[in-house]
Amino acid sequence: MDITITVTDGVPIYRQIINQVKYLVASGLLLPGEELPAIRTLALQLKVTPNTIVKAYGDLETLGVVHKRRGSGTFVSEGRPQLAIRERRRVIEQRIDALPKRTS
Amino acid sequence: MGQTVVEVNDLSRSFGSKRALDGVTFHTMAGQVYGLVGANGAGKTTLLKHLLGLLRAATGSVRVFGLDPVRDPVGVLGRVGYLSEERDLPEWMRIDELMAYTQAFHPTWDASYARELIDTFGLDPSKKIKELSKGMRAQAGLVTAVAHRPELLILDEPSSGLDAVVRRDILDAIVRTVTDDGRTVIFSSHLLDEVERMSDHVTLIHQGRVALSGVLDDVRGSYQRSRLHFVEHLVQPPVLETAMVIEGGGRTWSVVHSGSLEQFRRAVVARGGEIVESRNATLEEIFMARAGRSRQVEAA
Repeated sequence: MDITITVTDGVPIYRQIINQVKYLVASGLLLPGEELPAIRTLALQLKVTPNTIVKAYGDLETLGVVHKRRGSGTFVSEGRPQLAIRERRRVIEQRIDALPKRTS
Repeated sequence: MGQTVVEVNDLSRSFGSKRALDGVTFHTMAGQVYGLVGANGAGKTTLLKHLLGLLRAATGSVRVFGLDPVRDPVGVLGRVGYLSEERDLPEWMRIDELMAYTQAFHPTWDASYARELIDTFGLDPSKKIKELSKGMRAQAGLVTAVAHRPELLILDEPSSGLDAVVRRDILDAIVRTVTDDGRTVIFSSHLLDEVERMSDHVTLIHQGRVALSGVLDDVRGSYQRSRLHFVEHLVQPPVLETAMVIEGGGRTWSVVHSGSLEQFRRAVVARGGEIVESRNATLEEIFMARAGRSRQVEAA
């Protein structure tokens, strides 16, 4: 899953994950029924404490963006979430900031 | 979660005339990651050594798994993994000998996990410790710290002086330790970026005292950094009650402050200014405000 974390803008990491998953779903880059990475996998990828992923996935479930299936994983729900303009701008800015690092 | 793993109450310690720890209280719960930060000599290592029973509590009490680590070292150390900054490994041993040696102390040693890590790190088991690079020593030390799958993993400045690849190995070990059956990690670091990513809780030790401790997101949520604009040119920094750090000059000032944003806004307006922008402070900004250090809490 294409997520970028920054610790310089004062936004809690779990909130950055929530915003970016919402963005990926809202823009169709994650489709309904698609499975999100396991907690351990995403924690290893982002180099963050696993409890942050647990919290982000939990909040995304409360928001109705994803749902958990017993014994398996976390899946994208039907219906696209709406992002506030400020959140959308922040996600896009973060993705732009991350661009030079990926091409170099 | 919910089980107390470490309970340090009112711990004080002096070395000669120097007060190394002064009334430190520090509790940890299972399944959480605790980041310990503070300048060189602030007392982080001294605190960690008490958890391992390497130092006896002079005043106050130390309990790990409900046990006194000095009186019951076997009961505590068998369930703890430890990587020290010095990585004091026996120089004359080969890596495979070091593994066999460490295994002897740990009935829960997982030999296939140890082999998997050695493989992943690309370590040659027949090499002697004294022939290893700094990064390889850290990797070998890391294997001995985690292969018995400890309930509590203690890492003292694990990233100190290491390159990005080995630092990643160490962070991976932290993630694996926590996701596998809710084990607990305490690590000290001067790399605030690392602490901010890897910690659920953060404790700042400053001159032997706990200057700040709490859930990381709560700590960060209680400090803001605001940019201020004043109508008039100010010769002196504006006097603002909740401000901890004020930088800038003239009509533009940048302030790290605690407490309610609304209260701060009123104070700024009363001085003839306005808040241009406000966001949660970063750990670095908070620690600079609380411990008076910039960039990193200590030099690498």
